[in-house]
Amino acid sequence: MTNNKYKILLVEDEANIRNFVETMLENADYQVVLAENGEMAKLMYSSYHPDLIILDLGLPDMDGMTVLDDLRRESSIPVIVLSARMDERDKVLALDHGANDYVTKPFGNAELLARIRSTLRNNRTSSSGRRPGAKFVVGDLVIDYDARQVTISGQRVKLTQTEYNIVALLSEHCGKMMTYSAIIKGIWGYQDEGSVKRLQVNMANIRRKFGVKPGAPKYIINELGVGYRMEGDRENG
Amino acid sequence: MLIKGRFWRDLLVTVMIIWMAVLLCFGFQAIFGGSEQITNVFIFAVFLVSLWTDGYFFGMAAAVVCMLAFNYAFTTPYYFLNFSVPENIISALVMFVIALSTSALTSKLKIQDAVKAESEKERMRANLLRAVSHDLRTPLTTIYGSTSILIENQTQMSAQQQVRILKGIQEDTQWLIRMVENLLSITRIDSGKVKIIKTPIVLDELIDAVVLKFQKRYPNQHLEIQIPDEIVMIPMDAMLIEQVIINILENAVQHAKGMNKLSFQVYVLGKRAIFEIKDDGCGIPEERLKKLFTGAGPQPDSNGDNRRRNAGIGLSVCATIIKAHGGDISAENCREGGAVFRFTMDIEEADDDEQQI
Repeated sequence: MTNNKYKILLVEDEANIRNFVETMLENADYQVVLAENGEMAKLMYSSYHPDLIILDLGLPDMDGMTVLDDLRRESSIPVIVLSARMDERDKVLALDHGANDYVTKPFGNAELLARIRSTLRNNRTSSSGRRPGAKFVVGDLVIDYDARQVTISGQRVKLTQTEYNIVALLSEHCGKMMTYSAIIKGIWGYQDEGSVKRLQVNMANIRRKFGVKPGAPKYIINELGVGYRMEGDRENG
Repeated sequence: MLIKGRFWRDLLVTVMIIWMAVLLCFGFQAIFGGSEQITNVFIFAVFLVSLWTDGYFFGMAAAVVCMLAFNYAFTTPYYFLNFSVPENIISALVMFVIALSTSALTSKLKIQDAVKAESEKERMRANLLRAVSHDLRTPLTTIYGSTSILIENQTQMSAQQQVRILKGIQEDTQWLIRMVENLLSITRIDSGKVKIIKTPIVLDELIDAVVLKFQKRYPNQHLEIQIPDEIVMIPMDAMLIEQVIINILENAVQHAKGMNKLSFQVYVLGKRAIFEIKDDGCGIPEERLKKLFTGAGPQPDSNGDNRRRNAGIGLSVCATIIKAHGGDISAENCREGGAVFRFTMDIEEADDDEQQI
């Protein structure tokens, strides 16, 4: 039985949620493998080799975070964490433990499907390194990596070094929520008390230079207390 | 950390008071030569120390120190400790009794204050719980009833009918989700009496998050936004403040009948940011205005329209959150019609460190 559908492993202990998510995924043309606890999840993972895992953090037999850690030790399979814990700290924790994305309960079907699509897409493209002459395009914003230049509708945007570095870093991981600490590590290399604030101020300046109006975010989406996500697809060439 | 700080403060208070008492006594001694006033001064010093410090320790310590100082420096024989004079023993005893009883009294008062604050909180929580549990029944009834109908009569129902019933379920579930969010916010404030953890947030990002969420729920409601050009940092629990703004906006959408314009403005006045949400709807009746934020106000047509229930609870959650942040919240009717909600928050001075690199 071979097919070219993406295989998704759904780890969730609530039967009702499992039911409707399974139906939803199947209708969206994914092949679904189910697991209701952490032990089973590991078993299913090694026997089915799924393309993506949706992992509920509140499992009966072990903490979902432990499952995530175990997975990360051996593979970089994309993992979307599903959780009823809404705290920013939990989101950051999950991301820093290697989750690719998270969706909080209760979630809309469209939202989950969009996250799945974007995670699968990014996993496919992000492994390829940056080629010379590469450009990043999202809407009317273009990043020319070689010239270290950003243009919007052909107009050059004057960014400082740091600002450019942040934009470039986010674009390299576009579609993925980057936590503050991940960005800070990438830009400054070290983290101190004022880092997050420095990052936020830089972001505020970037937004102003991009001409983005408050309440109508464009190009870069912020998640309060967690981090930033660059929109769009990565295009090489 | 806090307890340590408290200890040093108390120690400082004690030392200062005793120091001043000793100085005063030397003054009295030089002028009057007698010892009656001197006893009184020391007794008063012990009283003050017991009053202004926590617990019994400093009061008792002050009593001991004052007794020794009095005995040593201000009674005959001067500059000699002498425990045989009955008068001295009696003044020492008086000091101890005063220290003990004052400390006991102040501790008791402090406990009473805490109990009072706790019971106030308890009352508010009980009010909310009562309102919530009453309100939860209605959507649950709809959901339960609707799903039963769908399961039992599936075949007889037209697709249109089914969609209508399903939409009802969806709406009520969304309402429940919002209610749960509000309840979570309250527990977040109350849980373990921990103070909320504030982190500096850039105003732009807060507004982005709020507007995205709001537009998702009410895609057809236009929202006019105006915020300062400069970068404003406000220390807050972002999730809670987000909820406050959403609640107020939602309140306007649901209750301000005849609203055409909804605007959201933030401006900075000195060291405070003022958030202002204004609509041009029907305004708020005077009698509701007073109790708007208590959660105990009269529920408008309590057995009627679903959409109207959330108001009291949502707004009292707002008040709780803003108070916990040390800000003020108020609502009033505009002269030109409509209502305006206002709340304030302290901003953080933006230290303009490096722009480059």
